[in-house]
Amino acid sequence: MVTPIFIVATALGVGFAIGVLNKFGRNFTGALVLAALSFMTFISFQWFYALTFNNLSEAYVFTGGFKPPFAINLLMGQYESIATLMINLIGFLGAVYLYKSLKERGSDAQVVYLILIMALNVLVMTRDIFNLFVFSEITSVAIAGLILLEKGTRSISAGFKYIIATSVISTIFLIGIVFAYFITGTLNIDDFIGISLSTYKGGTIVVFLIMISAVLELKPFPANGWGIDIYEASEAGFSAIISAATTTASLFVLYKIMAFAGAEWNYYIALIGMITFIGSNLLGLKQDNTRRMLGYSSIGQVGLLITILGFKDILGENAPFIFFGILISHYFAKAGLFWLSGIINASNLKAWSIIRKKPILLFLMGTFIFALIGFPPFPSFFAKWTLVMDLVKTGNIVWVIGILLGSLFEAIYLFRWFGYAIKGDAEKTEEYKIEFHKIIPVWIVALSLYVLGYFIAQYNEFTSVINFIPLAFVALIFAIDFMPVLIKNTIAIIGMIFYFYTIYPQLDNLRLIFEVIFLIGGILALIAGYLHKGKRIGFYPVALLMYAGLTGILEAKTTLEFFYGWELMTAGSYFLIIRGKRSMTHALSYMLFSLAGAYAILTAFGIASVGQSTWSLSIINNIQYIPLWAYSLLIIGFLTKTASIGLHIWLPGAHAEAESDVSPMVSAILLKAGVFGIVLTLIGMGAENNQYSELVYVLGWLGAITALIGNLAAVFQEDAKRLLAYSSIGQLGYIVFGFAMMTHLGWLAAFTYTINHFMYKSILFLTIGAVVLRVKTHNMYEMGGLIKKMPFAFIAVLISIIALSGVPPLSGFAGKWLLYNAVILKGWYLQGAIAFFSGIIAFLYLFKLISSIFLGQLKDNHRNVKEISIWFIIPIYILIVGLMIFAAKPELILQPLGTMISQYFPEGGLNWNGGMATTSIGYWHGTHIMIIVGIMFAILFSWLAFLSRKAQKVKQFNIVYSGERPFTPETTHVSYNIFAGYNKALGFLVLPWITDFWTLTTNIVHDISGFVRRIYSGNGQTYLTHIVLYVVVIYFVFFN
Amino acid sequence: MNIDFTKLFFTFLGLMIVLNWGLLMSAIMRKIGARVAGRYGIPWFQPWVDLIKNYAVRSQITHGIMFYLGPVFRLSGGVGLFLFMPILFGSNLWSNFSFQGDLILILYFQFFGMLGMALGAGEGGQPHSFIGISRGLSQFTTIEVPMTLAVISLAVQYHTLSISEIVAAQQGGIMNWTMFTNPFATAAAMLSLLGAFGHSPFDLVKAPNEIPIGPPTEYHGTFLGVLRTNAAILHVVETVLFMNLFFGGASNWFELIIKSFLIYFWSVFVGMVFPRFRIEQSVVWFLKVPLILGIIAILLL
Amino acid sequence: MINTEYFTLGHISLLLGFILIIVGFWGILTQKNIVKIILAFSIADAGINILIVSLGYVIGKTAPIIDGSVVQKAGIDVSDSIVDPVPQALVLTSIVIGFGVTALMLAYAMKLFTAKKTLHINKFNDLKW
Repeated sequence: MVTPIFIVATALGVGFAIGVLNKFGRNFTGALVLAALSFMTFISFQWFYALTFNNLSEAYVFTGGFKPPFAINLLMGQYESIATLMINLIGFLGAVYLYKSLKERGSDAQVVYLILIMALNVLVMTRDIFNLFVFSEITSVAIAGLILLEKGTRSISAGFKYIIATSVISTIFLIGIVFAYFITGTLNIDDFIGISLSTYKGGTIVVFLIMISAVLELKPFPANGWGIDIYEASEAGFSAIISAATTTASLFVLYKIMAFAGAEWNYYIALIGMITFIGSNLLGLKQDNTRRMLGYSSIGQVGLLITILGFKDILGENAPFIFFGILISHYFAKAGLFWLSGIINASNLKAWSIIRKKPILLFLMGTFIFALIGFPPFPSFFAKWTLVMDLVKTGNIVWVIGILLGSLFEAIYLFRWFGYAIKGDAEKTEEYKIEFHKIIPVWIVALSLYVLGYFIAQYNEFTSVINFIPLAFVALIFAIDFMPVLIKNTIAIIGMIFYFYTIYPQLDNLRLIFEVIFLIGGILALIAGYLHKGKRIGFYPVALLMYAGLTGILEAKTTLEFFYGWELMTAGSYFLIIRGKRSMTHALSYMLFSLAGAYAILTAFGIASVGQSTWSLSIINNIQYIPLWAYSLLIIGFLTKTASIGLHIWLPGAHAEAESDVSPMVSAILLKAGVFGIVLTLIGMGAENNQYSELVYVLGWLGAITALIGNLAAVFQEDAKRLLAYSSIGQLGYIVFGFAMMTHLGWLAAFTYTINHFMYKSILFLTIGAVVLRVKTHNMYEMGGLIKKMPFAFIAVLISIIALSGVPPLSGFAGKWLLYNAVILKGWYLQGAIAFFSGIIAFLYLFKLISSIFLGQLKDNHRNVKEISIWFIIPIYILIVGLMIFAAKPELILQPLGTMISQYFPEGGLNWNGGMATTSIGYWHGTHIMIIVGIMFAILFSWLAFLSRKAQKVKQFNIVYSGERPFTPETTHVSYNIFAGYNKALGFLVLPWITDFWTLTTNIVHDISGFVRRIYSGNGQTYLTHIVLYVVVIYFVFFN
Repeated sequence: MNIDFTKLFFTFLGLMIVLNWGLLMSAIMRKIGARVAGRYGIPWFQPWVDLIKNYAVRSQITHGIMFYLGPVFRLSGGVGLFLFMPILFGSNLWSNFSFQGDLILILYFQFFGMLGMALGAGEGGQPHSFIGISRGLSQFTTIEVPMTLAVISLAVQYHTLSISEIVAAQQGGIMNWTMFTNPFATAAAMLSLLGAFGHSPFDLVKAPNEIPIGPPTEYHGTFLGVLRTNAAILHVVETVLFMNLFFGGASNWFELIIKSFLIYFWSVFVGMVFPRFRIEQSVVWFLKVPLILGIIAILLL
Repeated sequence: MINTEYFTLGHISLLLGFILIIVGFWGILTQKNIVKIILAFSIADAGINILIVSLGYVIGKTAPIIDGSVVQKAGIDVSDSIVDPVPQALVLTSIVIGFGVTALMLAYAMKLFTAKKTLHINKFNDLKW
């Protein structure tokens, strides 16, 4: 074992050696610095490994041959080894990144850099409080010195603000140290812990001074203007070091000071952290400068970590896992993002669209952002999960809300930025080149995040159950992303078939229904992908990521697995949605609603776990602590995915703008995840249990109103895909309504709708998507008469709209019939009437859809369009076969469904007598009706065909219209705003007041952000005043 | 399904009776309308003449396959409603195929013809057809609201959705009719019937007396013949539906003819008195008084 | 009634140290000239150094430099005759650090002046919000 003192010795030795050896050239000295840093990294890694895996005990290192208090001692324990490893590793990678920059500034800069890393190491290891002061001063001087060596005034003024601010903070620190020595006669932290400093006379003031300066070093909101400037102005490589390494060290200092400060400080530390977390992220919302925004994000993350430190006693043995889980994610991700910002060199957020030129950079950026927000499989996901669970369990729900609110703010600006990068309009197309030595560290940190995510998951008993196989498959697909679509699509389909084959025996009937929708539906939608030529970069990994998440939800045995799958699905679907042409804003609002929903679910899982000894998903069947709140949160969370009214504003744009074969994935398939969640929640509430009847009553009304508003809004759309999207909202409204009834028939109706909606909405979205690919427009009034060009598409749409509208004899009628029976037996007459009213409204938009596109006048520019692609026709007609089977033999599906539902609602099911289904009030024989209608239709058709056998086929304009013979299709095709009268009568119901509400909310939050951030006047002296005021305020708060 | 040829024969016979009664009824109504307006009016056999003439027209044109299918859908809708409707109470032979589906089937089967007709007319490419259809569909959505409430009210009242059982429950005297046992539902449904029959003031869909407009604009010859056939059947079947639901049904053909005539006359009567609504007026009208009546019918349960 | 016991060298220097710190902070927060701010910082720094020394001071004892005079005075136990050596060591370190920081600040002042030809701190607020 190399003793830790060599970390310091190496740095100092090499530092001095460079002073002598600089005549050998800067490359040589640069190499020396790298060698020294790698050796330092090696030392801390060695200790980390030995302490963690070989059960080595922690080691004290004494300097100068004396024992404390006469000399300084260093401690290398497990946490120290992790922290120094992190610092040295990022120091090394940072040196690689900064290699050229340091070289240009000369060997002095190289030495200062090395000393900076060394000083951070000492901050972590030292047990002497005066030594802490010395090395924090060295850190500040080193950072300010490095900035001084940069060019330009921006960084110089930032550096000056930084040095005077840290000097003032150190002055406070030093006063505290001196008095600590005066009253105790020691400077050793371990002694302070032993003697309980605050019991001395004046001890509390001393602790206050030391504590407040340690806190101030971490740049608490709002006394942190100087810190943000440094993030914005200094070179990206330094910002990365400050954000990753300095922060780690400063947090460690706070941790050490908290050890002797006494437990009464914990609450205030947590509060300081929370204010920083929320405040910083709030202000981040208004930023348009990348680096400054990242600065706010960094400080926000540190705030969260401070809060965790404040809760360390409450979190108990999970505290290190949580702390390091979040710290490491922040550390890698923020370093990576700062480095990227140095490579891209686009200061304005919107200018980041140039990153698209190198898709691989986009991947890296996405990795970092998802890691920061806490998506799986990154360490922060598991840490945040554990944090929320533990906080809720210990009764700190308010704190959880704060954490989730801050996270949401952070997600807003990070994902907005990511949206600009993926979809923004590039104003300038500046060329930029990626230097090898700059991109390598970025790659390393990105891959480390994935690897660590996997290993962190193995740390806990309950996190180790995660199934990584689907994710590995996604990784495989990602690895072969350079291959053509044909190969990737085939592999993806085979993989999904195989996975379905292996997984389906393990699922119960309830889950099997959804698995069929998710995976079989997914396979069918993928078939359409064969249409694409070329590589379709980035499509397959994200599509499969969504399916991995979806199947993960179904396989989940524990709440964690469920949430893991849920987040994977959200991530994958976000990428699918943002692939659409004008999807930037829609994808953002999708992400934000999904995240807010996910946080609601997370909190609910936390509440559910109170008083439970297991993490099994079945705990939601028996929630002991504030169950009504937990169930409400779960339902709200899931309603964001089913896009119920109020939470639906993301859907129309997201579905309408998605690619042709993606729309069915995100509509027919994805929305069902929310349905599954609602089913689980309602099962959890218990069928026999009436104590939540108010909740399901509200849910029922919500479903009915969603159906009405969704369908009504669809009527007034001119964009075909937007029309279908609103139709999905309405359909999901029925489903929610059906489940909310909490009766056997209600559920049967809802499941019938679920299955039907999956089939006909897949068909419609696929067909319309395929048509759009041919005619190159979404606007229905620009189409028309396509029946002559695309008979197959027409038949598909015809069948699916008959099914959707619920006209017998197709399968939609089964849903209507069941719903009627259920409503009457349940007694929800008015809600039911609203639901049926909306069902009839569906005729309006369905007619508009089919007639505007396929009937009426063919446009001149479409005279040469061809039938839709065969790759769309195949899945469409497979689905039609399914639809027809369901219509002809409904008992094949409804009977097993009934058996399954009987587990939860044993009473009031359908009675089957052959194909005849009866309830206590009604009866219906699907097969016979199909036959009767079929025969009758055939007879009448042949009769008319016989009568008008001599009819002469005429050309398009062989009509007379208003006394004239029309001559252009445009003036003769009635489609635009055809329901104007209806709009006049009922359009007020669909005025966009919900969108207005959310817009207003957004604006208010952003205005607050814009107002508050004016405290950062840019004046260094003001920032010093902030620091002093902060000290005073905390003093009065703490001492009341 | 065992095929019962006796039953099939009676069903066909019933269809013919209904068709002819429908034609006669429409002639009578037109006659009444003419007399109210001070005209002499058509001879009673005019509908048959029109029908024969339409079927006999020699030159016809077609706009495509859906143009063909439109009338077929429409007639299937009318005939289908007939097939699933129990015509005479207590008679197995005259109850058609009503044992295959209940009231909900009837309600939704109405859309079958409407939708197909809309599509067929759409293929004609005639803008007037589109306008007529969009108006018709718009109006239809709110017509159905009071009707739905009335149906729910009935189903709860009689605890069944079977039309035969609803009729059975009304037997034994006029006071057992739904009209008296559930007057609000009856009122709501009878107002909605005004819209369903499309007489004035709810006749903007076809807007007679102006330039020819509405779904059938482009239809002629046999196509129009099929549509006229359907209209005759449909009118009778719908009045039979109301008769069954609210007025005690009919146990013989005579009773059926009287009751269906009176129900149909109700819409003609209103049509004589009131002028035509614009579309947004008629859409909203059904959401006022009829809707309130329907809600009262629900709340009184 | 003023207790003259408080007017010992130790207490006076302690008071002086505090006054210097407060003066320094006042200067840092109110002066607009960057050089004056740096000077104010130096004053506060000096105040702290005085504070450190005076806290370690014990009446009637000498500097912790073990030479002949100390041994003469104390007889056997050296530690009885000298003041606490630790603050003395601390103050040395603190002075060195203060020197380094002040030097760095002055270097910044120079660069700032070269950039904008002014030393008014309000002029250097390019980075804000």
